[in-house]
Amino acid sequence: MKKQLRHAVNAGGIFGIITIFLFLIGFTGTAADLFSDLFRNKNAAPFLSLNPQMLNMLIFLGLIGLWAGAYGSRKSKSQTDDPWGAALIGGLTAGLVHGLLVSGLALLVGTLNLRGVRINVYLSELLPDAIKLFLVGKSPLQGATVHIVFLTLTGFLGGLLSRGVGRGSWRVRSGAAWNSILEKISQQSIVKQVRGSRNTRYVVYGILLLLVFLLPLRAGPYWNYTIGTVGIYVLLGLGLNIVVGLAGLLDLGYVAFFAIGAYTMALLTAPQPHHLMWSFWIALPIGVLLAALTGLLLGAPVLRMRGDYLAIVTLGFGEIIRILSKSDALTPFTGGPSGVKAIGFPTLFGKPFNSGVDFVYLIFLAVLLIIFVTNRLQNSRVGRAWEAMREDETVSRAMGINTLTQKLLAFAIGAAFAGLGGALFASRNVFTGPEDHNLMVSINVVAVVIVGGMGNIPGVIAGALMLKGLPEVLRQLEDYRVMVFGALLIVMMLWRPAGMIPSARRKMEVEKDKGVIETPDEGRGK
Amino acid sequence: MTIALETRALTKQFGGLTAVDSVDLVIQENAIFSVIGPNGAGKTTFYNCITGFYEPDAGEALFYGKSLVGLTPDQVTYRGISRTYQNIRLFANMSAIENILVGEHACLRASWLEAIIRTPRVIKEEKDALEKARQLLNFVGLNSLGDQLARNLPYGAQRRLEIARALASQPRLLLLDEPTAGMNPHETTDMMHFIRRLRDELSITILLIEHDMRVVMGISEQIAVLDYGAKIAEGTPAEIQRNPRVIEAYLGSGAASGLNDAAKQPA
Repeated sequence: MKKQLRHAVNAGGIFGIITIFLFLIGFTGTAADLFSDLFRNKNAAPFLSLNPQMLNMLIFLGLIGLWAGAYGSRKSKSQTDDPWGAALIGGLTAGLVHGLLVSGLALLVGTLNLRGVRINVYLSELLPDAIKLFLVGKSPLQGATVHIVFLTLTGFLGGLLSRGVGRGSWRVRSGAAWNSILEKISQQSIVKQVRGSRNTRYVVYGILLLLVFLLPLRAGPYWNYTIGTVGIYVLLGLGLNIVVGLAGLLDLGYVAFFAIGAYTMALLTAPQPHHLMWSFWIALPIGVLLAALTGLLLGAPVLRMRGDYLAIVTLGFGEIIRILSKSDALTPFTGGPSGVKAIGFPTLFGKPFNSGVDFVYLIFLAVLLIIFVTNRLQNSRVGRAWEAMREDETVSRAMGINTLTQKLLAFAIGAAFAGLGGALFASRNVFTGPEDHNLMVSINVVAVVIVGGMGNIPGVIAGALMLKGLPEVLRQLEDYRVMVFGALLIVMMLWRPAGMIPSARRKMEVEKDKGVIETPDEGRGK
Repeated sequence: MTIALETRALTKQFGGLTAVDSVDLVIQENAIFSVIGPNGAGKTTFYNCITGFYEPDAGEALFYGKSLVGLTPDQVTYRGISRTYQNIRLFANMSAIENILVGEHACLRASWLEAIIRTPRVIKEEKDALEKARQLLNFVGLNSLGDQLARNLPYGAQRRLEIARALASQPRLLLLDEPTAGMNPHETTDMMHFIRRLRDELSITILLIEHDMRVVMGISEQIAVLDYGAKIAEGTPAEIQRNPRVIEAYLGSGAASGLNDAAKQPA
């Protein structure tokens, strides 16, 4: 009981601080705008003397209030016996504390505003209008009262939702009904056949692929650019996935190989600084090979190191390449700080691939190729050797695995993928410069692999979509984009620490029909 | 009789400490040979010198007449020597069958390029490898646990899986490092039968480090005793039990004379 109360007060406090913070950075107003976009109620009639803008803000605060109440009532010792009590104690208390804190702030800010103190001198987002909105157009005292009543009520409601209604009998009953329906359906022979068949999977893949391939036609240039970027990050992620996820070598200078691919493409096909103007199709394999070769050359001395040391050396290497590319001494060769312009684009059967849509398809093809290669490698003798090396390097050597060769191989193949990504990137952007290849690229790719799920192809794709696609989707949020993005990442890592789609072991379908096997030591072992 | 493994004055030093002190051993093909000794006697170091983890400072290790000195661990495996570890070292996040497939690495040929193209030869090789892995799982009695992650297996099963993985490289000599450590008497008996079966059915020479005297005396044909890195005795189980130097090494000086009678009975 006491513990429950303390938890609820804490929850109220935490959510109070969150709400106050959101208000101070002006997010309450932005959220209201977002909701009015969502509901399209900008010009709706006022309701209870509240204009739509204020209503929207209250809806936003209400959601936070619900969450606070749900969170505050969650930690109850008695699991199900008294949902009403839990909601009352937890939700109401959390709501009350939450409301008190927020209304206190509203009162303070409102009073100061009335006295003529210009708060926005200190807190740039708190314009008089924003304060007026926060007080729902009333006097400070009234506004504060609205907040305390409203947040306490929503807290109570949140508590009810999570404890009372959420675990109520209707949910159990409907869940059971739903399950029995599902079971009935899956008992049908046709469903069984479809589910058991390998073809089903191919059909699903086919439909997905078709959708993906139709997407660029409808997406428009901006989204095509974004899709292309996501695709390139999928390439990079899959490459680094081999190095980090499979072979367990932490490479923080992965951008170096990306840069080598990009610069090879740039220098061989651009009119400046070398006037070579080679074809894209010749430059592309050269870029890939050069990147792989650099991987070998860097790897040979460096891969004898393990773990952190390797990370630091590769980190340095990534920076060396970038700094070299913008150094004055090499400007005649690399184009220096201003980069290389007018990089060539591919033509295939006389058709130039210079529109955004065409290039997206080219990147898709590259991604498909890399997925194919990765998949084949992963499920082979080589892939198993990599994983064994990640698990226990010493023992893997005793299995007959030449760890240095295998590491070099992983490093070179990873580098080749990055080279491919870099070459495509440079050609698509028609320009590349030193700042395209900074440390952030390496960090982003590592994040793609970790957030998505290490050692797993769908995971890497999901990671690239999330890390490179989501920020563009969130562009609606303008200045808060980065903040929301960061918050999402934290939530993701709390929820799914092994990545969005953690790698599942492939079932080898070991025979199980040989009867019960005597394992006399089972269960009795230490 | 063919000699499987022979060491001549094999020596390994760490700084001033001589961990293995000019050890001479001759292990006949198809034997079960035990190396015993108190903790810190240099048994595991001796293993590490043979398997290429350590390079011996002096002396020679010959496997079917060919020197092992200077080879890396993977090259030693290709020669036909395989080992298990005192503290089980499986690839914990890989499934049981994948552990065995990794063990088969030395027997497979597929290069990375072939793996990508998946030539008919590679397809057949992979199919055979999987089949062999299943047979090995069956052989060690784990056939229902193939898809389990190694770290989720019960302790005894992990020991067996480690042996199966070692067998996957088709060794001619198997080095077992305390295979019954942490097992109860029942499991220990099972393991003893299992080791004998390995030798009889697969005709593999077995070198065994073991602390459990019941196991050592029960299955070894020949025993060598190490103390402070040096070999202090060698002989059949009966000879070792009577050897006063062995008793002294295990129980301290002075005990040898008093405990001579007691030592005649198996521990």
